[in-house]
Amino acid sequence: MTADTLSTKNSPYPSTDAAVLFRAEGLHKSFGGVRAVRDISLAIPAGTVFAIIGPNGAGKSTLLNLMSGIYQPDAGSMVFDGIDLVGLPAHRRVRYGLARTFQKIRLFKQLSVIDNVVAGFHIHHDIPAWQYVLHGSAFRRDHARCRDEAEKLLAFIGLDKRAHLLAGSLSYGEQRMLEIARALATTPRLLLVDEPAAGLNAAEVETLLDRVGMLRVQGVTVVVVEHNMDLVMKVADRVLVMDYGQYLFEGSRAEVQAHPAVIAAYLGADFQ
Amino acid sequence: MSNPEIAEQPITSMANSILTSRRFWLILAAIVISLLPMIFTDSYWRTNLIVCAINVMLAIGLDFIIGYAGQLNLGQSAFYGIGAYVSTLLITKLGVPFWIAFGCGVLLSGIAGMLLSLFGVRLRGHYLAIASLGFAVITYQILLNWISLTQGPLGIYAIPPPPALRLAGLPIIEFSNLANLFYLTAGFALLIYVLLDQLVRSPIGETLTAIREDEVSAASLGINCQKWKVFAFAIGSSIAGAAGCFYASFVGTLVPDAFFITESFTILAMVIVGGMGTLIGPVFGAILLTVLPELLRGIGDLRLIVYGVAVTLVVLFMPGGMVQAARLTAARVRRVVRGAGTEATT
Amino acid sequence: MLTVLLQQGINGIVVGSLYVLVALGLTLIYGVLVQINFAHADIVTLGAFAAYFFTHAFGGSYLASIGIALVVGGALGWLINAAIFAPLRDRGSELLPLIATIGVSIMLQNAMLAWFGPIPYAFDTPYSEHVIRIGSTFFTVQSVLIIIVSTTTIGLLYAFMKFTFLGKALRAVSQDRETAGLMGINPNYLIMLTFVIASALAGMGGALLGPVLVMTPFAGTSVIVKAFAIVIIGGFGNVEGTIIAGLLVGLIESYTTQFLDPGLIDIVVFALLLLMLAVRPTGLIAEKREENV
Repeated sequence: MTADTLSTKNSPYPSTDAAVLFRAEGLHKSFGGVRAVRDISLAIPAGTVFAIIGPNGAGKSTLLNLMSGIYQPDAGSMVFDGIDLVGLPAHRRVRYGLARTFQKIRLFKQLSVIDNVVAGFHIHHDIPAWQYVLHGSAFRRDHARCRDEAEKLLAFIGLDKRAHLLAGSLSYGEQRMLEIARALATTPRLLLVDEPAAGLNAAEVETLLDRVGMLRVQGVTVVVVEHNMDLVMKVADRVLVMDYGQYLFEGSRAEVQAHPAVIAAYLGADFQ
Repeated sequence: MSNPEIAEQPITSMANSILTSRRFWLILAAIVISLLPMIFTDSYWRTNLIVCAINVMLAIGLDFIIGYAGQLNLGQSAFYGIGAYVSTLLITKLGVPFWIAFGCGVLLSGIAGMLLSLFGVRLRGHYLAIASLGFAVITYQILLNWISLTQGPLGIYAIPPPPALRLAGLPIIEFSNLANLFYLTAGFALLIYVLLDQLVRSPIGETLTAIREDEVSAASLGINCQKWKVFAFAIGSSIAGAAGCFYASFVGTLVPDAFFITESFTILAMVIVGGMGTLIGPVFGAILLTVLPELLRGIGDLRLIVYGVAVTLVVLFMPGGMVQAARLTAARVRRVVRGAGTEATT
Repeated sequence: MLTVLLQQGINGIVVGSLYVLVALGLTLIYGVLVQINFAHADIVTLGAFAAYFFTHAFGGSYLASIGIALVVGGALGWLINAAIFAPLRDRGSELLPLIATIGVSIMLQNAMLAWFGPIPYAFDTPYSEHVIRIGSTFFTVQSVLIIIVSTTTIGLLYAFMKFTFLGKALRAVSQDRETAGLMGINPNYLIMLTFVIASALAGMGGALLGPVLVMTPFAGTSVIVKAFAIVIIGGFGNVEGTIIAGLLVGLIESYTTQFLDPGLIDIVVFALLLLMLAVRPTGLIAEKREENV
């Protein structure tokens, strides 16, 4: 993919630098004979919102798990900003600026809302080792900074009033938003969100769309795995369509909406 | 707190801030420790006090692994035994000074813990529990069967107490004295407690809790779960090693049976009953489960049943242990007090 | 030499088949619940004591005492499920039930200690004395009885799992909790049934092990650790693997006694366990599953 194939005409956002931030080629992954991802290649331009769509079982989540490092691919290559990701464990990828949320919410339910976000600062603590045991000024400075940043992130997603509740006590939609805040605490350059709108009400979806747009403006590249076509059509710059673990089509929103194979495989039902 | 009630009740708020101050509790603990041997002057209860201090170390060490990092370690008896045997053998066979032998015992238990967790890095939940149990069984069997080194079931006798603290060549504090030995062990337990408390209140506490709650999720935040699990094991097992060194020099004899796998269950019981995932809980769990069987000596063999009953009931009805019970009681008392207060004003 | 090998082989298979009886229970429960009953081995001990008192105190026949132990075991299994596992099921914790059953185990052991005392009991059966000789190998009628009873039981269990509707439902639950619901069977009932069967096996194993074992209230501890080794080596929840691993551990035990030192049995068995965990944590017969993230 190059910049000129990237259509920004119908993008809701101003056109952006289209250097490729993440590139994967020929990704394969099977589980005990089931080929969940087959020969997927993709290039995600920096500063865009990139959607991966497809019917249930199309391999979207597996692809996301390959990108975030929960699985390692059986074959293929992945490069993130010049760094070869294959073989790199999930926690190392975070240090390079890759963060994610989960389809099935995985918050630390026994921790408070704010502590969930603070846990996301794991790679950003600036404390000399001995101060973990004997708390000194650097420790207190770091503590205050993390609380401060966490409160800002909570305000960003609209959960600042709930900071001291247990994460498990939040509503479903709030938990989804909290997962995004927690992922943002790692200060990612590429944020992978897995079905962020699942279980959200209309107002919450609006907030979600708005925040994704704001992130994009701030220069965070966002990959959205999504079911909800309306949402994809409102937010995505480019769309990858998958079916049965395979590449079906990739293009701008307009191209995807116009493509007959895509309509047949997936959109048909939605656009009747 | 922006509660207007508090402004109207300056005495309560002062009491509150004292009660929530950790320095206050620390000083109180130090005072209690220094008073205990004066209250309990007979050697029977002073012995029990020392056992309490040793069990407190074992329990908070295990809690760090189970309660914070969420790794069910049933091998604590092995680390306890390694600390005891390593330090004792160095002292009795090689004539190594006590505190150097102590350091070696702590270090080797810590290394054993690290090796076990490195080995079990891919294992989760039940599998780690069984692997650590297997490790405890093997360690016990080695202590029992390596007769040329450990004298097996015959045991090692006449282990000297820690050397006296000397000032200008004169022994100032003798540790053959039970009260002084209690000050040493309890002081050490308090020190370990304070250091662990600082550790779990640092970001490391959040990191370990994150691993306990959800490893996949923790990894997605850049947490290297394997590294931190090894860390938790290293800390928890070296604390058990320290407890082992004190145990050997206090009892004066070592037999492998003291480190049979049931000892792991005993320590686990202290953690569970006290309240795992808090540091103060296991402290009181250890004290309760050390003292209670002594008070129940009258009912004979049945007294050890309290461990089993306590663990089972706590898991079923009060999973947060004594800490949860205390919190619930405090909340109830507060509600009653507040209720009485509003009645008085209306 | 060959005679010794053969003789110890037979001894190993005798003990091993008893271990299979005990370990099968653990594996059945794990298959259905993905939980460990730590008190499982204390059911073995209690089964042994039940059979002992039935024969020695009441003068009952040994064969009948096996049935008594079976009932005692089954009842205890029902109780443990009802009191511990059922209430904890909704909490969804992997480790709490295990910890609770460690408590139950401590409770049972100390209760038995209070009633029976710490001195080992000598469990004599009329079959321990009769020796059969084939060629130059000897074995007691008790060994023959153990082999017959345990193979029959394992065979029956296997047939039950393979051919009856309930058995199929049990296997369905162990593969997927929801499928069983679709089959129209209450999963709680199946779990209860599994506990009763597993614990009855353990109780019966106790009656058969009693004459072989050093019968103290703490006998369970040494049995449970071996049973754990067996289920790990065989693969948790895997019936065939458990049978193979149980016999293997029995053989290792008797050959270690013969050629090395009886004190080394646990070390050898657990070294094998740890090796297995390092190389192949899914057991001898492995199955690969996709993690659901």
